[in-house]
Amino acid sequence: MIKYRLRPNVVVKIERRLHYPRKLSVLSTILSILIAFGVAGAALTILGADALIAYSQIIAVFITPSLLIETIKYAIPIGFAALGLNIAFRMNFWNIGAEGQIYLGMFASTGIVLLHVYYGMFPEYFVLPMMIVTSFIAGGAWCALPSFLKAKMKVNEILTTLMMNYIAIYFVDYLIYGPWRDPKGFGFPLSIPFPEYAKLTLIFGESTYLGSILFIAMATLVYCILKYTKLGFELKIVGESLDTARYAGTNLTKVITLGGFLSGGFAGLGGLTIVSGIIGRLRPRASAGYGYTAIIVTLLSTLNPWLIIPTSIFFGGLFVAGNTLQVTLNIPGATIEMLQALIFLFILFGELFKRYKITILTGGGKPEP
Amino acid sequence: MEELVHLHGIVKRFPGVIANDNVDFTLKRGEIHALLGENGAGKTTLMNILYGLYKPDSGEIYIEGRRVEIRSPKEAIKLGIGMVHQNFKLIPQHTVLENVILGLKDVGFIIDSKKIGEEIKKLAEQYNWKIDPHVFVWQLSAGEKQQVELLKILYRKAKILILDEPTSVLTPQECKYLFYALRMMVKEGRGVIFITHKLDEALAISDRVTVMRRGKVVATKNTWETDIKELASFMIGRPVLFNIEKNKTYSDEELVIVRNLKVFNDAGVLSLKNVNLTIRKNEIFGIIGVTGNGQQELAEVLAGLRRPVDGEIIIDGIKIVDPNPQKMIELGVAYIPPEPMKYGVAPNLSVIDNLFLKAYRYRPYSKKIFIDIKKMEKKAEEIVEKFNIVCPSPSIKVRSLSGGNIQRLILARELSELIGGVRSKLIIATYPTKGLDIAAAEFLNKSLIEYSKLGTSILYITEDIEEAMMVCDRIGVIHDGKIVGTFKPGEVSVEKIGLMMAGADASISS
Amino acid sequence: MGTIYLIASLGEVYAERSGVLNLGLEGMMIMGAAISFIFTIAYGHLVAILMAALIGVLMSLILAVMAIHLRLNQVIVGLALTLLGLGLSGLITFPDIRRRILSSLNPSLPESMLMIQQAEKLPEIPIPLLSQIPLIGKTFFTHNILVYTSLILAIIMWFILFKTRYGLIIRSVGENPSMADSLGVNVFLVRYVTVVISGLFASLAGAYFFIGFHPFWREGVTAGRGFISLALVILATWNPLRAILGAYLFGGVETFQYRLQLFGLGAQSPYFLAMLPYIITIITLILISIESIRKRIGVPASLGTPYSREEA
Repeated sequence: MIKYRLRPNVVVKIERRLHYPRKLSVLSTILSILIAFGVAGAALTILGADALIAYSQIIAVFITPSLLIETIKYAIPIGFAALGLNIAFRMNFWNIGAEGQIYLGMFASTGIVLLHVYYGMFPEYFVLPMMIVTSFIAGGAWCALPSFLKAKMKVNEILTTLMMNYIAIYFVDYLIYGPWRDPKGFGFPLSIPFPEYAKLTLIFGESTYLGSILFIAMATLVYCILKYTKLGFELKIVGESLDTARYAGTNLTKVITLGGFLSGGFAGLGGLTIVSGIIGRLRPRASAGYGYTAIIVTLLSTLNPWLIIPTSIFFGGLFVAGNTLQVTLNIPGATIEMLQALIFLFILFGELFKRYKITILTGGGKPEP
Repeated sequence: MEELVHLHGIVKRFPGVIANDNVDFTLKRGEIHALLGENGAGKTTLMNILYGLYKPDSGEIYIEGRRVEIRSPKEAIKLGIGMVHQNFKLIPQHTVLENVILGLKDVGFIIDSKKIGEEIKKLAEQYNWKIDPHVFVWQLSAGEKQQVELLKILYRKAKILILDEPTSVLTPQECKYLFYALRMMVKEGRGVIFITHKLDEALAISDRVTVMRRGKVVATKNTWETDIKELASFMIGRPVLFNIEKNKTYSDEELVIVRNLKVFNDAGVLSLKNVNLTIRKNEIFGIIGVTGNGQQELAEVLAGLRRPVDGEIIIDGIKIVDPNPQKMIELGVAYIPPEPMKYGVAPNLSVIDNLFLKAYRYRPYSKKIFIDIKKMEKKAEEIVEKFNIVCPSPSIKVRSLSGGNIQRLILARELSELIGGVRSKLIIATYPTKGLDIAAAEFLNKSLIEYSKLGTSILYITEDIEEAMMVCDRIGVIHDGKIVGTFKPGEVSVEKIGLMMAGADASISS
Repeated sequence: MGTIYLIASLGEVYAERSGVLNLGLEGMMIMGAAISFIFTIAYGHLVAILMAALIGVLMSLILAVMAIHLRLNQVIVGLALTLLGLGLSGLITFPDIRRRILSSLNPSLPESMLMIQQAEKLPEIPIPLLSQIPLIGKTFFTHNILVYTSLILAIIMWFILFKTRYGLIIRSVGENPSMADSLGVNVFLVRYVTVVISGLFASLAGAYFFIGFHPFWREGVTAGRGFISLALVILATWNPLRAILGAYLFGGVETFQYRLQLFGLGAQSPYFLAMLPYIITIITLILISIESIRKRIGVPASLGTPYSREEA
């Protein structure tokens, strides 16, 4: 416990909390977000942009039906990546590489489309399921490599996953500027547009987005994995202590590698939903840092797969708002990045209020010993 | 002689225990003062108070007659106190010189490694040490690392030297060097406090001996006025704490057979040199010895946590090839590890999770890839009731439990036949009663004895001779990676056992 | 080209040697670039470099407070700072905002200056005599002042780290903070200083990149170079002298990549070349995980773990 005496009769007492009430945690999160909006608004106003317009645009994104659909579309890749990170963080594996794993997912799903269109492989109805499976495997493999290295040789996963993001991005760049460029695309770095049966709007048309059904199914799956399977139990032990897990006879290499694979796999599905749900083709730098946003989302949702849904919708909305701000209102889209960063920082600060109890004592001039 | 240190009425309480109960202690200039006692007697706590790591609840500290308050090691160093911890506090990737001068203010901005190197070399030569100040610490042997620790203190001109179990990592040869050097150091006007639990060592090196037991000072004697018998009675001569009726039928069937076992420790040194032992069904086989003589490694090999270099392990007729924890668990080996908080439990997980730390993957609690939480919860409640684990609910975090309850939890997990509903064939218990109060210790020992009657073999590793005599059916003494003698309780006197624990070499020299 | 990596990684070497991973490098770098862009137009190079230095110090102080004092996760705080840097610097891409900032900074600026996307480049200083050497003279001895400074700095920083008392303290804090603490070293202060150094150098690297090399503003102008510098620290195995070699290797790879594009050679190869630094770094990471190599090189053992006395 630390005590600071500001004035003779004002004492600030800081002590570690043993338990914190759930209400407080929700409150501090909401408060952090509001403060972030306030600070960003002040910055914008000083810089001469109209913060009110920007914020009304952000609110519009969540209440206008057409924009809300767009928001959900953007929320889904973030949500998928966050589902994966949920698994990784649970076993104390700091996967910073969701971004790269998203790119691998985009690579795999586009690959399947091209194989079908150019070489006539697999029947039409088989294309989308194939895309789902391969994008999961590709993203998973991209994360299984660092997780295997961590399990076997204790290679620092923060650095490997971070570096592998760039390798993945350049790899997709290479494909799209090179062999995968659409020959009829006037030289633009774009793949061929995906046929309708390779899009996630397949069954019910534009208004009911298949991506969201897929997402809810996967969130349920993750919830069940964590709660009801041996792997879920093992992830919990491994995250708690490697020594304990070893003592308990848990196969560390298997659990960490598999956990990494699942983590990357869900990010890979996120990649699929970008090319097949939002853009409808592959283009370079198709993910605007969703993999990094997913880190915030995961931490914000306190490793609870269900809370990922509202949290990623919120951040998906920010991305959509960013796009519209830039195009229609001439307010910098970078505002959104700044806003994200500020929310991030203030929530981290908010953590402290959860961890420590701060009481300010203003006694009647009775200085404590 | 002038008093360098005077501790008066020191009291230190930890949750549930009094580690130091009104302790008085003095160190005179020019003497080596042995602080003798079993593990947990409160020696290290007392010295940590002197070194500023703990704050005493009450009591006074005088250094050279002046009353002082020591709030941190930094202040202790300033007062001329230096401590060599049991685990070296050195940075292996740095050179000897860098380790010695770290934190010193008067070495200047640019480190003149030539000049300081010479100084360190000269200092080392004073004590007949040959140390190159420019080599990296990871290249040094344990004995040399200890010399670096001492150099670190001497270079800071310390007058009061505290050595915590300094010989536990040394070879007999290195011990002799150390004793010689310590003699030199006190001749130069310093005082040395030598913490140990080895009787022969205390007699061989010290001028005075203070014996501690259960947090209290039992006696302080001039070394030439006492002998090993008297010290042993001070140290372990407590009344029998509890009596256990065994009423056992013994079996001749050999369940565990270990032949010519050789194992490396973490430092890559052969710590089990050639171990042979057999444990019969129903039998509690005790291993006693001074910590660091290979008992930890023995336990870990049998639990599958460490690979043997050579030798043979047979459990219930099955030869163990390439052991790993999972394999051993499935064979019916249960393990109660030392320091439960370190890896015996996952402190942030619930009591239920910790009870099923191993069993989660076996029927009936698991089917294919799934686990059956309902069954786990039900069984957990049953176990909590049966083993009297005091907790508000089985879903509470283990962190919030008391030490005794955590040990009960581990015991419950290992004895509850959770894995396939089958009783364990072998239970390895390492220092199971360490840190427990008498009632908890008694409960644990009784549970183990009851369990052994059912046909399980138990390997009981302890440092406490009395306890081993009471609980075990046969006892082996381990020294320097070998079992140096096996006997039944009562066959051999406590003093003789003490000498065996100290090793044949040491017993001749004392 | 390599100089940007060299400057940034020098600071990061210090932070990591003391046990703090500064993942905000990219954000601090781009803020350095953005600030130097604005202030070069408003007040010229000297002020620009000073202000860039200041922004780096400010941003790293945020990291220091959050990661060292409040013991929040370094990785997360670092990433948040990178995001913040990208967001804030992105704002000046907008002409309206830039005009407003510039005109309030220096009201006497002519209208034409308020809209330009380009800043004046630092002058190149040929070293007398040496630069006259045919063939190699121009390549090796005609550069701007920051290039020369960075080389001298690398040597000085190597010397401080390995040959002085302060360097020893920094390295010890990174290896074993609780031990350093018990010997009277102020662990928090040391880490504050090294983190501020890393922020300072990162933003200076950004400033160098912009006004010394590529003075054309666009959003995200540093394009991940902060992360490459992070990789370089590993490749250099936390040694400022080895960072020189690594920096010019990475710089060389990048220049080669541009050349190839320029001549239209190997249309695909630039992407693989761009991957190269990251691949080399991952291989280095694997190599230094091998116990026998790790022991010799001295990977800072406490890297990424906050220090707290009560838990030690």
